[in-house]
Amino acid sequence: MPVVELSLSRLQKLIGKNTNKKQILDSLPFLGLDIESLGRNIVRVEYSPNRPDYSTDFGIALGLQGILGVSKGMLRLNIRKKGNYEIKVDSSTSKIRPFVTGIIARNGSLDDEAVKQIINMQEDLHFGLGRKRKKSSIGIHDLDRISFPLKYTTTSRDHRFVPLNSTKESSISEILQDSEVGRDYGSILGQSTKVPIIIDAKGQTISFPPIINASLTTVTTKTKNILVEVTGIDKQSAEDMLSVVVMILQGAGFQFSQMKVSGSKNSTPSFATRTITFDADPVNKILGLSISGSKLVSCLKKCRLDAVMKGKKIQCTIPRYRFDIFGGMDIVEEVALGYGIDNLKPAWPASVHIGEKNATSEKLDSISRLMTGFGFMETLNYTLTSQRILHEMTNRDSSQIISVTSSKSQEHTILRDSILPGLLENLSKNIHETYPQKFFESGIAFSKGSPIKETTSLACVTASEETNFSEMKAVLQSLLRIGFNIKCETKTLSKHTLFSQGRVAEIVANKKTVGYIGELDSKVLENFRIRTKVVGFEIKLSGLIFD
Amino acid sequence: MSHVLHDIEKQIVKLLQSTPNLTEEQLSQKTTLSMDQIRRGVEWLRQKKLADVTDTTNISYSLGKNGLDSLKNGLPERRLVTLVQDGPKTFDEIRSSLHGLDFNAAIANAKKNDWINIEKTDTGSKISLKQNPIGNSTWNTFPNTIDFIGEKKVSAEEAERLHYTGTISSLIERPDFIIKHEEKTKTVSLSETGKHIDLEKLDSGAIDVEADVPHVHAARIHPLKDTINEIRDTFVHLGFTEITGNLSQSSFWNFDALFTPQDHPARELQDTFYLKDLNAKQLATPTQIKNVSNAHKKGWRYYWDIQEAKKMVLRTHTTCVTIKHLADKKPDEARIFSLGRVFRNEKLSFKHLAEFNQVEGVVVGKHITLRDLMGIQKEFYRKIGITKVKFWPTFFPYTEPSLQSMVYNEKLGKWIELFGMGIFRPEVTKPLGITKPVLAWGGGIERIAMLKFGLDDVREFYNNNLSWLRTATKCQ
Repeated sequence: MPVVELSLSRLQKLIGKNTNKKQILDSLPFLGLDIESLGRNIVRVEYSPNRPDYSTDFGIALGLQGILGVSKGMLRLNIRKKGNYEIKVDSSTSKIRPFVTGIIARNGSLDDEAVKQIINMQEDLHFGLGRKRKKSSIGIHDLDRISFPLKYTTTSRDHRFVPLNSTKESSISEILQDSEVGRDYGSILGQSTKVPIIIDAKGQTISFPPIINASLTTVTTKTKNILVEVTGIDKQSAEDMLSVVVMILQGAGFQFSQMKVSGSKNSTPSFATRTITFDADPVNKILGLSISGSKLVSCLKKCRLDAVMKGKKIQCTIPRYRFDIFGGMDIVEEVALGYGIDNLKPAWPASVHIGEKNATSEKLDSISRLMTGFGFMETLNYTLTSQRILHEMTNRDSSQIISVTSSKSQEHTILRDSILPGLLENLSKNIHETYPQKFFESGIAFSKGSPIKETTSLACVTASEETNFSEMKAVLQSLLRIGFNIKCETKTLSKHTLFSQGRVAEIVANKKTVGYIGELDSKVLENFRIRTKVVGFEIKLSGLIFD
Repeated sequence: MSHVLHDIEKQIVKLLQSTPNLTEEQLSQKTTLSMDQIRRGVEWLRQKKLADVTDTTNISYSLGKNGLDSLKNGLPERRLVTLVQDGPKTFDEIRSSLHGLDFNAAIANAKKNDWINIEKTDTGSKISLKQNPIGNSTWNTFPNTIDFIGEKKVSAEEAERLHYTGTISSLIERPDFIIKHEEKTKTVSLSETGKHIDLEKLDSGAIDVEADVPHVHAARIHPLKDTINEIRDTFVHLGFTEITGNLSQSSFWNFDALFTPQDHPARELQDTFYLKDLNAKQLATPTQIKNVSNAHKKGWRYYWDIQEAKKMVLRTHTTCVTIKHLADKKPDEARIFSLGRVFRNEKLSFKHLAEFNQVEGVVVGKHITLRDLMGIQKEFYRKIGITKVKFWPTFFPYTEPSLQSMVYNEKLGKWIELFGMGIFRPEVTKPLGITKPVLAWGGGIERIAMLKFGLDDVREFYNNNLSWLRTATKCQ
């Protein structure tokens, strides 16, 4: 989950009305913000990826104002339609990154902390909503360096301009090869010979989306007027992202003018609100409350939405940036948040349900109890394990392995097809402990087959100088007889990689081979650095004692 | 104070009362008890402050290989003198009688004792007798010592008494002449109390019920399994019925059916384990596929790719089992739960595993409320011994509203995030034909087990370290 760093004193100022720090800290979790760490004035909170408006303190302050009752209802957006701000889209962009949108924000001021918050917002939006800039990406520019109208078009990879944080001109190819952002995001543009570019009326390069802005329009703490542009592969996603930026800049005190967007299926963003009308009754029902319509309205307003009663129905108005709200159930959540989760008291429903364990779980429980009765300690191993344990140490056949892609750990790359090797690894890890050592494990083993077969098996081992085949066979036969009234036999097996020749057998029950039993081969034991004799067995339980 | 003595202890005390200060070996010989029994008995007596033990080191000497050779054939330097007694001899002539180390030792020692001269001539070095040493004081010094030791082992005390200490330390420096033996012995004596115990008066039937005994290791169910079983039982007590499903799942049930868009970060290789080159053959019913596909197109506005849904993954949660069960059975009323291993492509650390256990319960019903679910959860926590619980809002992709429960841990003195809960989004339930509200709750089990067993490294559960398995307290 993304994290944002907040200054409590700045939040106090943004919220207003002499809100104290304790009130702020107590309220943050009830907006769904988890406090990750807390300093004297700095608090780091995790926010949910569905609420990008919480990526800055401006957005969080707006939420806190609502929940603390300082200021309620929807934030109204005022956008001047006058002005000659326009961007024209060339159809050549349609094959590579078809959509652009934007807004003009004026007469604001950004101090160091505000710039930091906005950079954090931009990074989080790029990562989450923008799917690492692939779906949509933002550029923020100093408006006063730009001549309108702008043009969103494409250019060749030889095109040259001075990129952000640089003083010398580079070509697009050079930027893609030599800069970090170029290497990280260049793949979004694929192999196409033409790349997207924003150029102003004087022919100056403003931005090379989604990679980097031009140095020309760098935003500093002296910047008063800005242009925000968002480009992307989906019009609605680009406008979603823009709406979040606009909401945050409004919190920072900017005034807005429209930027006209035209050409090639593009259009000027409207930032229109939505209304959802719903029955008050079901909301109370699902939450287990019985609150009045006016109280429901008040709850929604605390969440910075607008709402009015229309007879028995509530009409809720949702600002553009709350695109996380899909429908009725999302409104239910807003009501709960406005009501205060800590005001929802747990209830106890009358129930006529009788709980039952799964039959497989029951039988595995019985096996565990019997095995401990025989003196075996239960171990637990990973089902996603390593070549080393399953094959290299045991010389077992590795032609049918099922592996995962891109595992972050070498010890967890393939699915086990047998449980016994894991128990040998357990013995190996405990060679300094007293003997005898007796282990068992039951669990899933995997094998290939349309597409995968999952079998529940049981394996067990005894390691001690005195142990022998008969001891293990006695355990096996007693387990199946006492546990499940099943008779099993052991039939000579000429060879098995895990076991010593002449001391290994197949386990046969109900005329089917269900496993193998024997004395472990000395080479295998040597690989695991085990110095005592080991006997063991593995048996498939699926198909024998349950399906 | 009356003493209760084991039979072994009685035998030792009886012997020491008549013969004070005996070594453990002597005690063993005279009582015919084994050394092991003696050691144990002495240790018990020592703990009861009836006996004292002093450690002493006994030194003794015996002849080594060269010493024994000199005992038989004479010291090499004396043999050299005999060889040159009737006139000087060249090195080569001497070498035919004295070989190798003997030769070097003979020359060196005879020279050191000032018995011989070595002259360099044109035909090589010659050795001549300087003065006849036979009968000199140095002549017999070492042979006497060698004879004294002979083929026996002599104690340092005896060597000291007979003034051989000096010559022994000289001879020890010559290789393989004399072997020094050091034996550590424990001499046992009775304390004042021990000396005055009247063995006749001790109750012969009593045993020492206060004595320490060795640990016995119980074979047991794995501690994490104890917690899993406790949680499973608790769900059953609360009226939930267990359902199970495969660990390997199609992306369709693990993600798509739960309204997780195909470009969602959680679906990337770096978070989810995809099974190499394996695709699901049968995903779901054609209607289920069509409806899920439409929900994605409507909600997320993108091209929904069935090939992406066919990719096999190791399930990232048990919710895939739950949702498939609900989609297939469409119950009007139900309390079900699913428990088992889930997987995340994580680097292992003290707080993260790539494979761990999760439990998830759902309640389906026309009249069920969010507050009911909070109540069920509170009761669940009470049953596993957690009493302080509060709820905070949170976000899960497939539930709305979503809450997380925070529980207070007395040992750590802080609130800890445990299970999450929420109501399945209509975008999840509607396409699958589930018409009644579904309230779900659950989370990781290892986290609870860590609190119970006081562990701060989650990997311990899968280390299968016998010393921990043998000693971890079962009832937490």
